[in-house]
Amino acid sequence: MSQAEITMAGHSAAMERPAFSVPAKKMAMWLFIIADTATFAGCLVAYGFLRNATPNWPRPFHSITNVALMTFILLTSSLTMLFGIDGAKAGDKAKALRWTMITAALGAVFALLHIREWLALIDEGMTLFKNPWGTGLFGSAFFSITGLHLLHVTGGVIALIAVGIRYNGGRYNADDLEITGLYWHFVDLVWMFVVPLVYLLNLSH
Amino acid sequence: MHDMSGHAAVHHGEPTSFIHKHVFSLDHKVIGKQYYGLALVAVLIGMVLSWLMRIHLGWTNYAIPGLHLLSANGAPGNVMTPEYYLQLMTMHATIMVFFVLTTAPFAAFGNYFLPIQAGAEDMPFPHFNMMSFWVTFTGFLVLVASFFVSDGPTLGGWTQYAPLSALGPVGGPGEGWGVVLWATSIAIFCVGQLLGSLNFITTTLDMRCKGMSLWRLPLSAWGWFITSCMGLTAFAVLMPGCILLILDHVAGTSFFVPSNLVLNDQLQPHSGGSTLLWQHLFWFFGHPEVYIAIVPGMGIVSHVLITNLRRPMLSHRVLVYSMGALGVLSYMVYGHHMFVSGMNPVSSLAFSFPTLVITIPSTIVVLIWLGSLYGAKIRINAASLFALGFISMFISGGVSGFFLAQPSTDIMLHATYFVVGHFHLVMGVAAMFGIFAGTYFWFPKMYGRMMNETLGKIHFWCTFVGAYAIFMPFHYLGLAGNVRRYQAFVADYMQPLIPLHQFITVAALFTGAVQVIFLYNLIHSRFAGQQATDNPWQATSLEWSTPTTPPPHNNFGDTLPEVFHDPYQYGVQGSAGDYVMQTSPEQVNSPHDEA
Amino acid sequence: MATAEGHRSSVGKYVIVYVILLVIAALQFVIAYSNISGGQMFTRMLCLAIVEGVLALLFFMHLADNRGLLWFFAIFTVFVLLTLQYGWTDSFRLLDGVQWAK
Repeated sequence: MSQAEITMAGHSAAMERPAFSVPAKKMAMWLFIIADTATFAGCLVAYGFLRNATPNWPRPFHSITNVALMTFILLTSSLTMLFGIDGAKAGDKAKALRWTMITAALGAVFALLHIREWLALIDEGMTLFKNPWGTGLFGSAFFSITGLHLLHVTGGVIALIAVGIRYNGGRYNADDLEITGLYWHFVDLVWMFVVPLVYLLNLSH
Repeated sequence: MHDMSGHAAVHHGEPTSFIHKHVFSLDHKVIGKQYYGLALVAVLIGMVLSWLMRIHLGWTNYAIPGLHLLSANGAPGNVMTPEYYLQLMTMHATIMVFFVLTTAPFAAFGNYFLPIQAGAEDMPFPHFNMMSFWVTFTGFLVLVASFFVSDGPTLGGWTQYAPLSALGPVGGPGEGWGVVLWATSIAIFCVGQLLGSLNFITTTLDMRCKGMSLWRLPLSAWGWFITSCMGLTAFAVLMPGCILLILDHVAGTSFFVPSNLVLNDQLQPHSGGSTLLWQHLFWFFGHPEVYIAIVPGMGIVSHVLITNLRRPMLSHRVLVYSMGALGVLSYMVYGHHMFVSGMNPVSSLAFSFPTLVITIPSTIVVLIWLGSLYGAKIRINAASLFALGFISMFISGGVSGFFLAQPSTDIMLHATYFVVGHFHLVMGVAAMFGIFAGTYFWFPKMYGRMMNETLGKIHFWCTFVGAYAIFMPFHYLGLAGNVRRYQAFVADYMQPLIPLHQFITVAALFTGAVQVIFLYNLIHSRFAGQQATDNPWQATSLEWSTPTTPPPHNNFGDTLPEVFHDPYQYGVQGSAGDYVMQTSPEQVNSPHDEA
Repeated sequence: MATAEGHRSSVGKYVIVYVILLVIAALQFVIAYSNISGGQMFTRMLCLAIVEGVLALLFFMHLADNRGLLWFFAIFTVFVLLTLQYGWTDSFRLLDGVQWAK
């Protein structure tokens, strides 16, 4: 039996047990999360560094309604993702697919709200290098960090739909769905840090 | 794919078409060779660049025939301008650090031998692996392309210090498109390394064959594993740094340019950024990168040495722990590159201490090597000579590190050739020697033919003597006050040093030229070398127990191997001689079986 | 393995964690409107965000069920995050100058 066949048949006596009993695919996702954490942390540290070093840092946000709504939606999407995985683990394919697609839809709503917010800020005269309230660095940091996050959300929505469809077609299984879920929770986790640091600390009083 | 509960599927049959076999191959062995080829092309370019720089340093107004073809502005009348010297220096460093020292010992040999040494059929994600190479290759093309944009490649050095690197064309030749291409290339390279690291780590953790516990992995596999753990996060921080640098160029942001900066009597339109921020982001990657270049070499050299010593190292585990400690500490010391940057003096202290601490694991590694050599009857061949050369270079280059670890002495030495000599010996030449050792050692397995030993030994002695002749005088130049990066300084203020520079130039030309012996040996042996047996070095690890040489598409044929011993059962009574292979089920009464 | 056998639904646990996360997030919004200095605000919000993150990691991403992976991830990530913090002193200096040089 070749290793390919062995690996198809699950854990085999011909191989050592995986470290931490985590199969390679899931391990790779965790490693990616570690790397991506470093990427986001690098960006957030850069933002904090520049903020500390700048005397006229603007605090332009007036309302928390939009960001509160976005946070609520993203947090909820993590919960619906878990419902989907729970369904998949229980063998309930329809339930798994339904909740995965709801998750993707919530992600899409989040992205749309985010883009709407961006457009409103651009309308007020904020760009990557200047804004009416103070140092141009504010726009640079805001758009790069939220842009990077938005990129992750968009990628996540596409991944959820693709994996969901393939799961429905039988090419992917519950574990694949769970691995995609890990990524989705990570995107949510990053947002938990972006909200206080990038939004709430820049709220005008 | 139906059931993934145990392992990821390594699921690809043997390819038949040329494209899938040699170009877009999923086979880790082919990808490893592709990485090696890329490194070979890159090192030739990098070496020619160093020749051009050396000629300019020795004979400033010497007209190098044809140089104006490379850059009409940079070399009017074939004589290099000071700016073009900096541009070539930047490209030399970038090509060497990223596309040679990272790709050859880590990506090339690691790709080829990590799965085999772990007893796997392939890496768990062959498509990622293929992408990793082609992404890296694209990065290389983007970097080389900067030779051909209007004012040439960037002159900012491989560190691309802001604000000059972030200002655009006003910063000097190549500071426009040159920097953008440089940063794009490195950002692409980071993606390739991320994909590679994912594969390396998951291979080590999840793809080992039966009996291959982590402690039974050979030292080379440990070197690659530790390196990939470093690469995973170091490149992940460099990538956003490069993207922010690109934004400063193309989107008008000012992440790295301070307010009210006046350059060439012009007030720069940027405002608000911090130059030190770039250095923090860069060196957070930059210092681990040094160890990404050298730790695989340590692993390879240990592996080669043990085979030729015919006995294990004094301690397998302490060597692994020390390499791991190097990996961990490499994240905590990056600021010793910034002692002269205007960094907070308190930070200097905080960086100096771990920098001195990092010499401890390095010293332990060296002492284990030396202690293992003591009284051993070593087999002298090209591979073991280069392994010994690695140790020699690592010690010589490492000793000067003590001076540079302390801010008080570093401030005087930092901008001089002393530093250039230090890092060329300890990470440049040493890592190159690791690559050579690996090549002479594994070539028989990769191509089924032996390399010519006599040529290999000539190659070693010429390179060994040449490398010392080049880089030892650098320390003297530095102590004499010869600043680096600024070539005209010597001609203007330090004329007594010019003969020494000329000597170094001759040595560099010689050392570069003798690499032709290696190239000839490589190509000639590939096609007409003596046929190699499956295990020409009487070695024990799994790469020597493949059913054919070179290994078949799935490495071990129909059945995966089973491992019964520690990797280095030498000096024991085995049926095959003084060694017992990892796959051999025979009993060993050996004090060395730690696992 | 996708089988119904032996599968125990954790939906109840998820909902509890979800509610706690919502409460903490709401708390952050409250802090944003409280009348404290920027530094204090930053510290409190960051602490809450870390609590949120740990909860999500442990229960949503199931690190609580795998001790080995938990330690691997925690040590690796926390170490890298800590080593990223070296630069802060330089950021303050650019604004205030060097205190001991005045």
